[in-house]
Amino acid sequence: MADGGAASGSAAVRARLWDAPVRLVHWGLVTLIGFSWWAAEYDHLEWHRWSGYGVMGLVVFRLIWGFAGSGNVRFASFVRGPAATFAYLRALPHRASGFTPGHNPLGAWSVLALLAVLVVQVVTGLFAVDVDAFEAGQLSDRVDFDTGRLIAGWHEWSFTALQVLVVLHLTAVAFYLVYKRDNLIGPMVTGWKKVAKDPGLVFAPLWRAAVATLVAVGFAWWVSKGFRM
Amino acid sequence: MALNKFTAVLALTAGLALAAGAALAHEGHEGAPPKSPGGKAAWARHDNFKAQGAAFKAINDELKKDAPDKALIASNALKIKASSTALPSWFPKGSGPESGVKTDAKAEVWSDAAGFAAAANKFQVEASKFQQLAAAGDIAAIKAQVRPVGGSCKGCHDKYRVPEKK
Repeated sequence: MADGGAASGSAAVRARLWDAPVRLVHWGLVTLIGFSWWAAEYDHLEWHRWSGYGVMGLVVFRLIWGFAGSGNVRFASFVRGPAATFAYLRALPHRASGFTPGHNPLGAWSVLALLAVLVVQVVTGLFAVDVDAFEAGQLSDRVDFDTGRLIAGWHEWSFTALQVLVVLHLTAVAFYLVYKRDNLIGPMVTGWKKVAKDPGLVFAPLWRAAVATLVAVGFAWWVSKGFRM
Repeated sequence: MALNKFTAVLALTAGLALAAGAALAHEGHEGAPPKSPGGKAAWARHDNFKAQGAAFKAINDELKKDAPDKALIASNALKIKASSTALPSWFPKGSGPESGVKTDAKAEVWSDAAGFAAAANKFQVEASKFQQLAAAGDIAAIKAQVRPVGGSCKGCHDKYRVPEKK
């Protein structure tokens, strides 16, 4: 499997790029978002709810990891201002891949938008009520029937927004692969990438991932119980 | 600084999604009150179904609690039974899509009147059982009957109600 050449084909070393937690969150979200969609379409709402708690746990973990994770996955390190974003956009048509050891300034916005929509998706799902008042989110007893139905509408709309973002994401990945000859998929699977020079990234220790996992799982579990312990 | 931006983007995206949802949701009535008998019936039907949904939701909410209020469940189960009996009368001829009022009732309600009557009858049977169990106050038995009642709602909706956008 080719990891894709980075800067101008002078790929000399194999460097570690993504830590395991970020990769697990990424593929976990891919799996659970797909599964949630399928479960909703085929009326397996019990599975849909459990899958939703899974998404919640992954998103909570990613948010914690955005503050306490490895250097290149922290929000403070990869979220850039408009100037950097536009500079990156202007350079985009160049076929040579300007390698960023992490999220590039444009991709950063995609990460934030996806996470934001997932937060909306999870929160609305918790309060949504179906038309029969039979299937409902775990926290729907906090709202009346009309409000629950209204929020169910939002849940649908935010899913459409999510679909748009996913298509955009896949298009961007394909663009890098075909136009820039830069394979972003391999590193997201293996964590490693062939680059001209090892950027010497710093990675978070395992114990920190364990603590974040504990917090994320605990929170999702608590919500799944409707805050009743 | 990056953090502030992050929070701003998060809030902005959430706000936009909620605003779009609110603008496009249509749970209440739309437009001016109808004057035709069919249109009036369609509006009344909408309100009746909403009251029925609220009663069912009240029961399901109660059943989540550690100590459900049996009186509340019984009174709402009685409401559902009463509305299940009245339900066929909510669909007079002329109150379908041809009424000019926005309705999710499909033309099949009237073109397949026998099938619709059977589906409505199924609901009446399940709602009646539900009401008896609720009056008896056995929480486990009530919980077990929730699914058949919900299933009879869904069974009719799948065939005679315009599917929600998917």
